[in-house]
Amino acid sequence: MPPEIQPPFSKILIANRGEIAVRLIRACREMGIVSVAVYSEADANALHTRTADEAVLIGAAEASESYLNIERVVDAAKESGAEAIHPGYGFLAENPGSAQAVADASLTFIGPSPEAMRAMGDKAAARTLMGKAGVPLVPGYQGEDDDESLQKAANDIGYPVLLKAAAGGGGKGMRVVENPDELEEAIGAARREAQNAFGDPRMIVEKYVTNARHVEIQVLADSHGNTLHLFERECSIQRRHQKIIEETPSPLLDDELRDVMGKAAVAAAEAVSYVNAGTVEFIVDPDTRQFYFLEMNTRLQVEHPITEMLTGLDLVQWQIRIAAGEKLPLTQDELSMRGHAIECRLYAEDPASGFLPATGIILAWQPPDGPGVRVDSGISAGTEVGVYYDPLLAKIIVQAEDRPAAIQKMRTALRDTVVLGLTTNREFLLDVLVHETFQKGTATTAFIAQHMNPWLPDEYVPVEALIAAAISEFHSPSNTGANLSTSENDPYSPWKRLKGFRMGMGQ
Amino acid sequence: MRLSYLANGHNHDVDLEKGEGGYRVTVGDSSQVVQVNSSTDGALQLLIDGKMLKAHVAAEGKQRYVWLNGKSYSFEKPSGSARRGAAAEAGGDGILRAPMPGQVRQVLVNEGDQVENGQTLLLLEAMKMEIRIQANLDGKLMKLHVAEGQTVDKDATLLEIEEG
Amino acid sequence: MTFTKVLIANRGEIAMRILRACRELGIKTVAVYSEPDRNAMHVRYAEEAYLLGPAPSNESYLRADKIIEIAKKSEAGAIHPGYGFLSENADFAQACEDEGITFIGPKPEAIAKMGDKGVARATVKAAGVPVVPGTETEEKLSDEDLLKLAPDVGFPLLIKATAGGGGKGMRQVNDLEEMPAALESARRESLAAFGDDNVYLEKMIIGARHIEIQVLGDNEGNIIHLGERECSIQRRHQKLVEESPSPFINEDEEFRQKMGAIAVQAAQAVDYVNAGTIEFLVDKDKNFYFLEMNTRLQVEHPVTEYVTGVDIVKEQIRIARGRQLGYTQKDVKMNGWAIECRINAEDPYNNFLPSTGIIQFSSLPTGPGVRVDTGVYLGFNISPYYDSLISKLIVWGETRGQAILRMRRALEEYRLVGVVTNIPFHQSLMEQHRFIAGNFDTKFVEERFSIEKAEEGKETNPEIAAILATLVAHQQTERAAHIIQRGKRDTSNWKWVGRWERMHR
Repeated sequence: MPPEIQPPFSKILIANRGEIAVRLIRACREMGIVSVAVYSEADANALHTRTADEAVLIGAAEASESYLNIERVVDAAKESGAEAIHPGYGFLAENPGSAQAVADASLTFIGPSPEAMRAMGDKAAARTLMGKAGVPLVPGYQGEDDDESLQKAANDIGYPVLLKAAAGGGGKGMRVVENPDELEEAIGAARREAQNAFGDPRMIVEKYVTNARHVEIQVLADSHGNTLHLFERECSIQRRHQKIIEETPSPLLDDELRDVMGKAAVAAAEAVSYVNAGTVEFIVDPDTRQFYFLEMNTRLQVEHPITEMLTGLDLVQWQIRIAAGEKLPLTQDELSMRGHAIECRLYAEDPASGFLPATGIILAWQPPDGPGVRVDSGISAGTEVGVYYDPLLAKIIVQAEDRPAAIQKMRTALRDTVVLGLTTNREFLLDVLVHETFQKGTATTAFIAQHMNPWLPDEYVPVEALIAAAISEFHSPSNTGANLSTSENDPYSPWKRLKGFRMGMGQ
Repeated sequence: MRLSYLANGHNHDVDLEKGEGGYRVTVGDSSQVVQVNSSTDGALQLLIDGKMLKAHVAAEGKQRYVWLNGKSYSFEKPSGSARRGAAAEAGGDGILRAPMPGQVRQVLVNEGDQVENGQTLLLLEAMKMEIRIQANLDGKLMKLHVAEGQTVDKDATLLEIEEG
Repeated sequence: MTFTKVLIANRGEIAMRILRACRELGIKTVAVYSEPDRNAMHVRYAEEAYLLGPAPSNESYLRADKIIEIAKKSEAGAIHPGYGFLSENADFAQACEDEGITFIGPKPEAIAKMGDKGVARATVKAAGVPVVPGTETEEKLSDEDLLKLAPDVGFPLLIKATAGGGGKGMRQVNDLEEMPAALESARRESLAAFGDDNVYLEKMIIGARHIEIQVLGDNEGNIIHLGERECSIQRRHQKLVEESPSPFINEDEEFRQKMGAIAVQAAQAVDYVNAGTIEFLVDKDKNFYFLEMNTRLQVEHPVTEYVTGVDIVKEQIRIARGRQLGYTQKDVKMNGWAIECRINAEDPYNNFLPSTGIIQFSSLPTGPGVRVDTGVYLGFNISPYYDSLISKLIVWGETRGQAILRMRRALEEYRLVGVVTNIPFHQSLMEQHRFIAGNFDTKFVEERFSIEKAEEGKETNPEIAAILATLVAHQQTERAAHIIQRGKRDTSNWKWVGRWERMHR
């Protein structure tokens, strides 16, 4: 091979599980890179374990014993000869200590530098830094975080306020406090959650902007000083501060605001010398069209596929290439958006009782398909959804020529989705899609609390459903159930890689 | 033969009779002939009154899950005489159960304590989320069934309160 | 022209494709089926379904009378014919019109004109469209006439059926001596296939590529083109792999627009309405010749949808509803690269012999940039009655290299058990340096490709993917740096892959 042509890496370890691990493995496969999965005892039969070229058991089901254990992950990388580690999202993704440990082991961490992560990961320090870089901030307080200081800050800012874990993200250790009486208990609970999730109980306080929109900008930066933004994602449809529907472009933005916010996001990234893919989250007041920096997520986002569908760029492949030192070949002017993309997150949860996570075994799973439909999932029939990990089952992503067509396509896709065996938010998502406020494109982060609460599934039981149940007792279609495709030795397993495997061919 | 399904606390009886070219199915006062087509991919194709319907059905223990026309339904097939389930759902009886499987993070009360309706008694953690178990009536905590750090199944009894 | 219910007069993947589009437009659907298709996916997906008759097409999917009767009975205001079957039957389109049913496609007159190859050649030639040199008359020609005209056309030449298509009634003739026998068999085949033994002659273009242009026209006379599709990977005139853009045109936007404009001219010559495709032969000097116009939706339409973002089936329905085109020529921009592999029930190790069987296991590839259009499912019986297309696997990538890599990944993920498929053929093709280099013509598969030979070399070059991936990156970087001149890109790299491949054989 001529010296000037080298593949970015020959082997990458995927330090994650579920749909995102499968997504990362696919990117590796397309780039001719061998993928190594890590798995916990609970995931011995998981899709990502079966999908990867190699798989290494790293510990017990508890995340702290496996996916959060950086030493075991680094050991697995070294043993398997991987040159780089992709953390996905969650787990080790935003932990500067992990990035450092990977670097110390002379391996490449596919993500930003530990310094950039540290700078953005500490919400208190990030606010200070962003203020200096001229990025607009929500009124708030970061500093001494004893209960008394927080109380005073909350009074100064004015209720409602938002308590946030200084170390955190993703809605964990976060509480909206409506009035002073609730503050103390909220601080206690938020600190406990923050301690559990991030090992750090520190809090900051921000003004809680009611009726705001959550709009984020995807950025991509190489190690040669080029930083691009890949436009926005509208993520206002949230429950418990966690997104369930995302779309792009945002119905709120026009080209002018898009440009200003894009530039602010690039400035935010450049302020911490950011390299690789990242997302700058803003909240936008729909009345004044003012926007404020919320935080920067120093990793791949769950909702990255809608940006991929709209811009045509494969973000994961670019992450890998940037980590290998490649230069971005595009300029901001060369990027464009096409059509409209929406993602719905299919969760194992019960929207009728406070979105409590649900558990169970996936007895039947038939993802939707067809033109413009993409499904990123980490499940198969027989997958057990347990208590240990995030209850995200699959992401259903659609792209169509405009927003109404995309909504229509998503409704069709969700209706076609067959997932049986546990409670999911599928029908809730369908109800959101047809809600007038959503269809108008004016939903704010308060949408679910205001318009979809309480929500109850349709209790009407059609006679045909009973007939189907009764007939199935005799006319068993059983074979698609839990006992299919779970065995390691299953020759039909879609993920078993057989060398020179040729279907139906006489040898 | 008669089959019974429990849905949302209501019982539905389905009478099924196998005959020439299909089943005669009676639900309530409606009766129809149902033809069954392929069932190879887990889908049942039903011809009911000239109308073609596609359904997916999955079974686990007593649970029956049905997908039909884009909607999902969950039924319970009661075994023998027992038609419980409906009663167990009812609140206000002072017995607090785990709403989902998880780990007991913190117990905030002791046996014998007087508790108020709405008071947080115990913190349960599952999927990195904290769930507060709150008293559903005023009274005295009679029994504490779990300890901190213990893992519990869904519907496990956590605490018992006696009204008063 | 407003209708709220559409009857889909087809089966398999294309029926599914149309059903989905209708659903997304909020239009009710009616399926029709033959006896063996009773459990087919399109039957289950539609809101209503009606039996046409026994398995043979002429007793079911070709029964125009029955289909129209069902449309009336079910109150479907329109019929979408898909491709094949009745899609290019002018009489059927006329019968629909007579019954007040909207035919989702062009006018009967346009179908008729383009359906007769002789008339089509004369019509477009008069409109200034270059045609392959050949006999220039709409009259019936006797063997005697043809033998006289042949030397002027020049050898090698092709005998073609005027009523034809799909390679039926077509013969290659290398010299005058071969003519009489070839004429006789061509006429015989044509009569059997189309009920008409009229033939004409065309010069054979050596080393030609098959490149076609997708057009869309509305009722107000607006016609636009959606760029090209490269369809040179064929076997016996059956396309196997299609892509857009064509690697031959690639960044030569001027040439693309020139071909596009000519295609629009050809469509205008018959006042074309709805979606259609103008097929051209292109020689190595970029001369191009009109081959024929397909007055219907093409099998390979998804590659165009991927690169242009236009949903062609939805546009067809909108046009049929009397709406103006949603796009102007200026709005149409090609982005990235799309490739389609036709997954057929045929054995690539045994002369592509069609195979039948029951699908015992099926697992479709998915993930970013992958689309599968299929009409089969677990338990489905691939019967000998219809064509062997099981599904279409379509991928999209930022560049051609990325699309090829993605196709390799998708082919690897695709699992079909119970029937022999041509997936191994596609897997081999995606690793061929000539294919990777975009260096092929319509004879490539038949004359210069052997799956056995391709696989012999396979075990020795497992790194091919890594190399491809690197080249993709390399190319993009070069594009950024503008190192390579327009139109001259890639070749150096791809040549290098070729050398490397041969070295490792």
